[in-house]
Amino acid sequence: MREVHFILNGRPVSVTADENELLVDTIRGRFGLCGTKEGCRAGDCGTCTVLLEGTAVRSCLLLTCSVEGRHITTIEGLGDRDHIHPIQQAFIDAGAVQCGFCTPGMVLTAKALLDRNPHPGEREIRVALSGNLCRCTGYEKIIKAVQLASQRMDPTPETE
Amino acid sequence: MGRKKTIIGQPVIRPDALAKVQGRARYIGDLFLERKNCLVGRALFAPCSHARLLRVDTSAAEALPGVVTVMTAKDLPGLNAYGAAAPDKPVLADGIIRYQGDPVAFVAAVDRQTADRAVALIRAEYEPLEPQLDPRENLRPGAPLIHENHPISRGSNVSSKWRVERGDAAAALAQSDIVLENDFETQMADHAYLETENCLAEPDEIEGGIHLIAPGHSAHLNCRSLAAAFGLPHSKVHVTTPIVGGSFGGKEDSNLEVAVMAGVLALKTGRPVFCEYTREESLRNSGKRHATRSHRKLGATKDGILTALEADIVVDKGAYRSIDPIPQRMSMYGGGVYRIPNAKVEARSVFTHHVYGCAFRGLGVPQAMFSIECQMDDLARRLGMDPVELRLKNLLREGDSIITGQVMRADRGLGLEKCIREVCGRIGWDRPVEQSGDPNIRRGRGIAAIMYGSGTGYPDDGAHCFVNLQMDGSLMVGIGTAELGQGGLAAMTQIAAETLGISCSMVNVNYSDNHASPETGATVASRSTVFVGNAIVRGCTILKERMLGCAGKLLEETPENLEIEDGIISVRGNEEKSVPLRQVVRAAYMSQVPLTAVGDWYPPLNRPDPVNGQDDRMHTYTFGAQAVEVSVDIGTGVYTLDRSVAAFDIGRVINPLCAEGQVEGGVTQGIGYAMMENFELKNGIAVSDTYHSYLIPTSMDLPSLETILVEAPNELGPYGAKGVGEPPVTAAAPAIRNALLDAIGIPFYSLPITPMKVLAALKAREREEA
Repeated sequence: MREVHFILNGRPVSVTADENELLVDTIRGRFGLCGTKEGCRAGDCGTCTVLLEGTAVRSCLLLTCSVEGRHITTIEGLGDRDHIHPIQQAFIDAGAVQCGFCTPGMVLTAKALLDRNPHPGEREIRVALSGNLCRCTGYEKIIKAVQLASQRMDPTPETE
Repeated sequence: MGRKKTIIGQPVIRPDALAKVQGRARYIGDLFLERKNCLVGRALFAPCSHARLLRVDTSAAEALPGVVTVMTAKDLPGLNAYGAAAPDKPVLADGIIRYQGDPVAFVAAVDRQTADRAVALIRAEYEPLEPQLDPRENLRPGAPLIHENHPISRGSNVSSKWRVERGDAAAALAQSDIVLENDFETQMADHAYLETENCLAEPDEIEGGIHLIAPGHSAHLNCRSLAAAFGLPHSKVHVTTPIVGGSFGGKEDSNLEVAVMAGVLALKTGRPVFCEYTREESLRNSGKRHATRSHRKLGATKDGILTALEADIVVDKGAYRSIDPIPQRMSMYGGGVYRIPNAKVEARSVFTHHVYGCAFRGLGVPQAMFSIECQMDDLARRLGMDPVELRLKNLLREGDSIITGQVMRADRGLGLEKCIREVCGRIGWDRPVEQSGDPNIRRGRGIAAIMYGSGTGYPDDGAHCFVNLQMDGSLMVGIGTAELGQGGLAAMTQIAAETLGISCSMVNVNYSDNHASPETGATVASRSTVFVGNAIVRGCTILKERMLGCAGKLLEETPENLEIEDGIISVRGNEEKSVPLRQVVRAAYMSQVPLTAVGDWYPPLNRPDPVNGQDDRMHTYTFGAQAVEVSVDIGTGVYTLDRSVAAFDIGRVINPLCAEGQVEGGVTQGIGYAMMENFELKNGIAVSDTYHSYLIPTSMDLPSLETILVEAPNELGPYGAKGVGEPPVTAAAPAIRNALLDAIGIPFYSLPITPMKVLAALKAREREEA
């Protein structure tokens, strides 16, 4: 057992965790943040994606003890009922949500992408989302949602 | 005056979207985390596909601290059998193991780790038996029975069979200028929904029953399938289904495995129990799309007019019957979307010791469409005719019949030809495919056309719903169908709001609760929008007529002159003269006018013909066409899907955003089925038991998907709608196969067509030519 301190959705938190405890279990089981889903527990599906210092990572492949002092953002850290993040709004408007089980991971992967590159091309979006499986949508409207969010968040791209 | 706003056809935002994008939507696994003192159930599964179970020693598991109970077959509260269509699946194995997903013992413990440790401590002894894995062998006289005493298939390994016969196929083939004879093979495929099977079961201490919070396609069907295993009457099995993380047919039946485990453990311990499959268990145990083999002869004149079809189809049923209209569907759709005057199709599904086949989006039709649409392209090649021209020459038009004798009717929506013309126009069928500058890359284009009926086609295929007016003029609707991701909730809300004349925000659909809804039928067979939608229209129309009657008295007008819009009843042409619906509801209650009704709808009765399969199975059909372009690297066999254009005639569109989503998602599952998905088994044991050994399409495997919605209204559908869920999955595989044929001149007859298969075929041709 080890005491681990990290920043979860902007707030300092601490937990006493087993050395082999997975971050997905800490987030869901100890902090009750159920927006992070679990689809395979093997790093294949991307459903449990969270942001580690702004980078999209799979929380089923991270040990809780390894995030000491780091910033973790889950879907609950992106927006709430009264503050809908533009990426979330774009997913709604584009019809990118079906069963919704992949959606939190998709939204966070999109966030990491748009923070890195506010105006990605379709190919870059496909590459960025390729680690997040979706069985419902064919990704079509998810990609449209990322494009829509990109336009809305920064409507005047720099011309090269 | 007649300017009534319509909600039908509007891209209304689905009610669950916001909660889902914000991570606030609660799935069953989340409900478990929020409950205190809930036990966790786990199971020990057989390590082999066929064995005799000799003994099970649970003493070490029972002694582990934190274990609350361990159950074997002798500890069950009711019948040791359950199933969606027939009770042939044991709750816990008793004597014989029939596939590797048969559970041997259940454990309930205080947490997951303890339950897993306890399962590892159970000692089970087996006498291995030779698995019977080839359905063709199991058909032979004298083949040992997979089920000694099956409730339906007594004395036979045939789970279900069907035949379609009209005209004289043998004579017509003998006189045909051209006869194509081919063998087709399709693989098992997994639903691969991201949320695995799960269930939270809670004993009802007050009324003595059980509450199952479980995914499924029908709360009523879940109840019916499991009540006997719990030793309870149907009325004591309360099933609710919150939102589900994908299903595609799979959780209709496969989720029962987990629900029955949670249920018997909850009844035994008197405590809430949560059970959930791991991804590996989900892939190994849950039902699959049926693997099939079809031997087919298709006859035609030298002018390309189809004359006759003969087919013999064998389906690998696996160990249990599950949902099995596969022989029926593969027979009735054996001739695809064409006029074929003579046909003889026989199909049987046969038990084996493989994982069982269950419902999977398309239910036998992807397999059928693959075979006929491949043969159409082969025939076009043989004739030197354009594949679209050949299709149009034989295409079903008004008054023509499919091989079951059912006549196609324009008034039920017949947009087949339009779908073909739309995709051809969009993809530029008349222009040759642009070739790559790279000599190693060959490009090709292919097309396929399909049809798919709405409804199960069985006489009991009816829908009922409750419609329940509230004192403030809002409406509660009770249905037993589920929100699996498809957007049914949005469509049902729109239909209710439109019919009653209130806004969507005033409608609440109480979905998937067998105690709060009448028998609705299941969320299957692309039937919900049409059947349940119609039931809602009927129920809301009853309420509307009652309220207009009451409003007529209040406004001193005849009800025929009144209309409701946005919850206000007014005189047509004199909007000043009006009364809010909520006031009318109160007045109705004071005048003893009932505020609740049951809406119901049944399609025209079909009487299935078990002798020759000549019947009018579905009241309406959805039609579609898909055209694709591929690029093949002839050095490696790797090919990419460059373009996909799909047009589906789904009747009147209720919600275009959701309908497009259904088409795009279905097309993608069809693409996966064509190019990569293959559930592999070795000696009955799953090889594909992770997402890295069972591949499904990622965003990198797909082009931008182009979708065209064609609207040929169904006079019997709610506002003209037809079904949309399943048809889009059925055209991709033959379209891709035909594009590969166009690109490299090699016809494939089995799925999936992997790069390895393409490379092997290219090498084989090289050897032949050398």
